[in-house]
Amino acid sequence: MYRGREGQWAYFLHRITGVALVLYLMLHVFDISLVMYGPDGPFNAFLMFYHQWPFRIGLVLVIAAVVYHALNGLRIILLDFTTWAIRYQRVLWYTVLGVTTIIGIPVLVKILPEIFGGA
Amino acid sequence: MAVRPRNLQEARDRSRNNAELAWWVFMRISGLFLVFLVFAHVFINNIAINVATVDYSYVAGRLAKPSVKVFDTFLLGLAMLHGVNGLRVVIGDNVRRPGLRFWIQVVLIVVSVAIFVAGVMTLWAFSYREMGDAIRDLTSGH
Repeated sequence: MYRGREGQWAYFLHRITGVALVLYLMLHVFDISLVMYGPDGPFNAFLMFYHQWPFRIGLVLVIAAVVYHALNGLRIILLDFTTWAIRYQRVLWYTVLGVTTIIGIPVLVKILPEIFGGA
Repeated sequence: MAVRPRNLQEARDRSRNNAELAWWVFMRISGLFLVFLVFAHVFINNIAINVATVDYSYVAGRLAKPSVKVFDTFLLGLAMLHGVNGLRVVIGDNVRRPGLRFWIQVVLIVVSVAIFVAGVMTLWAFSYREMGDAIRDLTSGH
């Protein structure tokens, strides 16, 4: 890291979330593809394993990464394809963080009780 | 580490060849589509329902629907291309030794193609039981 400001953090978070998401994607496609073994195959056992609470917390983090990466991706598209966005790149990044939080709160309110409500 | 091009003209000037420029454009176009595809996917399977209720019958029931097959095919294809290309770029930026970088990227491509094929098979190829039997026969050496 060098002494970058918001742009540096935007870039760093975009990379970290991107790498995490592609690794999750590969695991996800692999374990969904286990449905090919049929109802008596390993699919349900895999899924029950992932339904344990640490993995469900992990899934919440995956959703957070999706929302940040998507919104910051839109910011990058604006920066690259418009002439005006570069002047507002810092404001746009705080907007990305703000909207991520705004989307994140109802998602947490919906999902956290499902994880810890004993259901 | 390469500095990210700031606009289309810079990307064009800086890319070593047309393939890199095409990937740069692809990342933006696929990214735009993926925002909608992934948000819808997460909403349907993780927000609208309790994800802990997902089991074989839920997944098999969804994947049996033609609309889900078409939707998930676009999702799978764009997400894998976007994600694996992104990872390739990250490896290119961060792994300095050319030999090591090359082999990591070879492993990445091989693993990605295998996972992509498994995904396409899951969506389109055969009935699940036929496919499981075929793989089981293959791996048990018959």
